[in-house]
Amino acid sequence: MWLYIVRRMILLVPIIVGVMTITFLLVSALPVTERLTAVYGDPSPHATWVYNPTLTPGQGPCPGAPNKQPCSNPVYQRDLHDLGLDQPVPVQWGIYIFNSLTFQWGTVSNHSSAALLIPSIKGLPVITVLSWYLPNTIELAVLSLLIILVISIPLGNLAAVNRNRPVDQAARIMSFSGFALPGFLLASLVLTGVVIGVGSNTGYHVFTPWCPSGATLYGEFTGSWPVSSCFGGVGGATSYPSWIHNNGIYSTPTGFPTVDALVHGMYWLALDTIIRMILPALVIAFGTIAILLRFVRNSMLEVMNLDFVRTARSEGIPEQTVIKRHAGRNSLNVTITVMGLLFAFFIGGFPIIEDVFSLNGVGLMLAYSVQNSSGPIDFSLVFGSTLLFTFIVVFANIIVDVLYAYLDPRVRLG
Amino acid sequence: MEPMESDSISNASSPAPLRRGRRPNPQIEQWKRTWYFLRRNTLAIVGLGILLFFVAMALYAISQPLPWDNLNQFCSTNQGSGAPNDCLPGQTEICTYGAGTTPPHAGCYQTPISYPSVVPPTWSASPLSGGPLPLGSLTVLPSGSLYFSIFQGLLRGVDWTLMISIAIVGGGAIAGLFLGAISGFYGGVVDETIMRIVDIFLSIPQLLFVIIVISVVDTTTTSVFGLAPTDTKVLLLILGFMAVWWPFYARLVRGQVLVVREQKYVEAARASGGSRGRIIARHIVPNSVYPVFIQMSLDVGTVPLLIAALIFLQFQLFPTLYFPEWGTLAALSVTQIGAFLTDCQVGICYIPWWQLVFPGLALFLYAISVNFLADGLRDALDPRLRR
Repeated sequence: MWLYIVRRMILLVPIIVGVMTITFLLVSALPVTERLTAVYGDPSPHATWVYNPTLTPGQGPCPGAPNKQPCSNPVYQRDLHDLGLDQPVPVQWGIYIFNSLTFQWGTVSNHSSAALLIPSIKGLPVITVLSWYLPNTIELAVLSLLIILVISIPLGNLAAVNRNRPVDQAARIMSFSGFALPGFLLASLVLTGVVIGVGSNTGYHVFTPWCPSGATLYGEFTGSWPVSSCFGGVGGATSYPSWIHNNGIYSTPTGFPTVDALVHGMYWLALDTIIRMILPALVIAFGTIAILLRFVRNSMLEVMNLDFVRTARSEGIPEQTVIKRHAGRNSLNVTITVMGLLFAFFIGGFPIIEDVFSLNGVGLMLAYSVQNSSGPIDFSLVFGSTLLFTFIVVFANIIVDVLYAYLDPRVRLG
Repeated sequence: MEPMESDSISNASSPAPLRRGRRPNPQIEQWKRTWYFLRRNTLAIVGLGILLFFVAMALYAISQPLPWDNLNQFCSTNQGSGAPNDCLPGQTEICTYGAGTTPPHAGCYQTPISYPSVVPPTWSASPLSGGPLPLGSLTVLPSGSLYFSIFQGLLRGVDWTLMISIAIVGGGAIAGLFLGAISGFYGGVVDETIMRIVDIFLSIPQLLFVIIVISVVDTTTTSVFGLAPTDTKVLLLILGFMAVWWPFYARLVRGQVLVVREQKYVEAARASGGSRGRIIARHIVPNSVYPVFIQMSLDVGTVPLLIAALIFLQFQLFPTLYFPEWGTLAALSVTQIGAFLTDCQVGICYIPWWQLVFPGLALFLYAISVNFLADGLRDALDPRLRR
């Protein structure tokens, strides 16, 4: 078993290096000024003029240079040297790989769309910002995955047992509808329905008994903090608790809002956080249930044709027991694989869902950083997210493989 | 208790019945059989019908001598202030006047007083050449963007949508088929190399990769291969998506080839003296290609949804905001409905539902029809799944 894990870990190295090579090629295609911006943010103490949107040709410290174009300025030369951009390409590649592996992913640019939308992340290291936002996404992913599991396994089994009967067709139509309905459409419709139905007067915010007027502790809120009776009417809290930092963006000690609320004994707050996540989780589940449902149904169909099920039936074991104990359990192997991959995919964030529901996750951060209509795209955040999601996917693959090998001896011994 | 599914019923394993006089072409027989099984699947036929309708729409749209730039059907009005309006010849002017009063200009298109530049749905086609549903543009349109009816947008959008999704999926499938087949046939070092590259590409998040490719090229240049900006963006979009799409196909085809290569009928063909080329062309490729068709038909429906997702994230893919592509129209209308709902809370409620419903319905029908068709094809092409 350990040998298998080590073997898988060694296979991981070329993949990670390969992904970084591809991102390196793309980074290298950027203009030098953009690369400097991605590392230092701007305006930086290093070279404010390197990226200056107001600079016009013939002005600035570099007479005659076109807009945004660097010239031989001692500060600029020093920055180039510090970054190793004056080195040959293979050396630059090595520096890039080293920086990526040591989480030196650059700085959020001051002028980028993400920094304009969330001012408190200006000039911060990308890895810090992502680590604030990741726990929220993980909680959302876990909740959606739980909903998907609870629905798709029984439904998939039911569809396989009643193959091509109305139940099967209904399950198929439902899952395909979820697949075919664009996520933003469904999310907006659900939110609109809730806003209209519940009568919250602040637009896109979910009403809960604890926080009226759509104030949310971890998301954006439109009203001013504090909202009366938002803390469950307990204690009349007037500001964020000391363990919630940066206007509700992240919390200590774990960073997971629900866990932190429980750690600090605010059970109602944990419940509130979960209630806020249920609608987005349901939307996500509806959109992705088709994938798991199809796998469960097909693997169940395959298992039901196997000899041991036939034997069990011929022994006179009740049909329900055969389906549950014999067929159902043996069809779960594939389900676990798909689930692991789905989870990795989920942690990659749900830009649209988090955007619509104003949840502070990596998806929202990603959505803000690519908005090239509201400001320059933030290359440090985009490339940083790419590296983060790659790490997550690759490690999830390994965990799934190991789990699979643990469940199925043929894999680890073969 | 349901009777056991039996594979021996399926016609694929029994020889085709020989009619007297002439020997039927086995391939035609195979197609007939597939069509027979497909026909019995109601959902698949519904999907095929919807898809054919869209294809007909696309053909009609292409045959119309109307380039997409001329979609600017509406123009904003001077509202009687005496200043020149920005109308071009042939455009319909949008004015504000109440019901029962006289229009300020002749041929002016009536809009509700509370929302001056919303064109409400009407069945009258009179001032517009577009068709029966002149549905329209909104208050928040920036100047210089296109004003066109949703009906025209859908009609012009169908060929862009079909073209982009087919190009992406077709290109990805061809590249994947080629590399996957090579990988499966030759094995060894070639296989290892290609599969590691596939692993690398599968680990990169899809949407992010497309975003990065487009924005990196965008920072450097606005035109590649001397193309117009619109075509450049569309080409980049297609190439970016192809780059993240081929690995799925490569892996799929390789797996199929590895399985098919070891089948008894391939061994039999080899034993009876079939050449390598014949075995590949007649046995391995036809038997490993049908999962690719199924996957392709599934993916063709996914592409417009992904484009819509990018647009919804306000990542500007196309040079103009209102590009007549279904995903774009649906995504933009969602944002606009949001603006209207905010107004709605102030007191005046005017929700242009048609903005959202028609592009959304088109996207949904397109995606779900290809899904139904793919599901039906899977059942019809795979003898083990037939009843």
